Amino acid sequence: MVWFKKSNIVTVVILLIFIYLSMRLTEFDLTKFKDFRNMIDFLSQWFPMDFSLLPEMVQDTLETLAMAFLGSVLGLVIALPISFLAARNTAPSRALFQITRVGLSFVRSIPEIVFGLILLTTLGLGPFPAVIAIMFHNIGVFGKLISELIEAADPGPQEAMKAVGAKKWVAYLFSIMPQIWPNVLSQFFYRFEVAIRTSLILGFIGGGGIGQRLFNDFKTFQYSSVSLDVLIIMVMVIIIDFLASYVRNRII
Amino acid sequence: MIDVKNLSVQYAGNSTEALSNINLTLNKGDFVCVLGKSGAGKSTFIRCINGLQIPTSGEVCLDGKVCLDPDYVSGAKAEKLRKVRREMGMIFQHFNLIPRLSVLQNVLTGTFGYRSSFKNLIGWFSQEELELAKKVIAEVGLSEMSGRRVENLSGGQKQRVGIARALVQQPRVLLGDEPVASLDPGTSNHIFTLLKEMHERLGLLTIINVHDIDLAKRYATRIIALRNGELIFDGPPEQFTEEEYYATYGSKSENSFFGAGI
Repeated sequence: MVWFKKSNIVTVVILLIFIYLSMRLTEFDLTKFKDFRNMIDFLSQWFPMDFSLLPEMVQDTLETLAMAFLGSVLGLVIALPISFLAARNTAPSRALFQITRVGLSFVRSIPEIVFGLILLTTLGLGPFPAVIAIMFHNIGVFGKLISELIEAADPGPQEAMKAVGAKKWVAYLFSIMPQIWPNVLSQFFYRFEVAIRTSLILGFIGGGGIGQRLFNDFKTFQYSSVSLDVLIIMVMVIIIDFLASYVRNRII
Repeated sequence: MIDVKNLSVQYAGNSTEALSNINLTLNKGDFVCVLGKSGAGKSTFIRCINGLQIPTSGEVCLDGKVCLDPDYVSGAKAEKLRKVRREMGMIFQHFNLIPRLSVLQNVLTGTFGYRSSFKNLIGWFSQEELELAKKVIAEVGLSEMSGRRVENLSGGQKQRVGIARALVQQPRVLLGDEPVASLDPGTSNHIFTLLKEMHERLGLLTIINVHDIDLAKRYATRIIALRNGELIFDGPPEQFTEEEYYATYGSKSENSFFGAGI
């Protein structure tokens, strides 16, 4: 019993209690799987796949990719300057730092789907409100991540830039950006992947793209199309995953 | 050239002063080495000259005009300080180069104080600025490396880039905060030789913190010693004897340097 202390037992007991409570709340019950035959019946309706709508599906997939890309790129571009206000070491004043920090966590705390539902009322159905929703959430996320990178950046080059007599913001920009750039890009690719999954969900509420097609096909019992939608989504996610890790490795 | 008057620095949360009531006049042509134990205030002193450290009281004057006092934190005075900094090149213990940029790009950042922010941002440099940068890179002996990223250079080469960045400012004052403390003895010697050469050719005022008394005695024309933030010695290197060494470091010197009389 060298590895275990008494306090470990308490931890385990507390953990077990939480697991039990969570199972009760989520109606977690493995015996329910005795009806798994239904699932097989259901899945059998997915095949054979219906390829007749493939061109439209590919078009919708491109729309989903464009939504995710635009939402995360705009989010990054807007968040970059804000991050310098939200970092303790580069903020022009303590008050501005606090306000920006609070603003960012406020934006971040609102899920994309809520943004989407609100924007639908003014912008109507379609991918545009989805892009804006993804962008807003990403401003919050990038603002936090990048301001933390700025705070962790080596202060040495910043001092050197001040010492040559550069203006403060030029000094910060040039001494910090080259240091954090690889990390910023790596975060961007991760958020881009997340945005693809988000734009699928936003499709369910009328945001367009392959997500909306999947939802519509499902609701109209077009299961032979649903299967192809799912396949296309899987292929897209795998390709993006692969590309992102390739680019990330090249940069870092 | 530089007058330091009643200069004191006290860091927040510290009961003792890092520098207490320093009075000095530093002249063009002086090659000053600042000696003292770790924590004696050497670094604080150097950083007060170009305002990287704002003093708690007292002032620093350049050519008889005040260039730093406790109010130089923001506003018009901060802008005045920025302009003064352009005339003072500075090199650092950890070189403080900008990673992922090339030698040439790093050296060009030394001109930033004189240029518009827009030109800095888009990276547009005049022919003269580029020529000057190439010239100082040649002077520090890195012409063949000018396209290389600085993180791929050796410690000595990095400090040469640091020196080039300071020289491209065409400074009148050169400050060094422990510039050779992370370099081996041979490389340290080369760097000091280079610094002395530039100092003499450009007629600078050079102020350098150094741990190595050997280097200080060999290169300095004037030695300043600090202990617990107080000035305890100011004079030519010949006068810095075993006795002063003991006063500065609180122990006997370990080498036979004083006996050798170099």
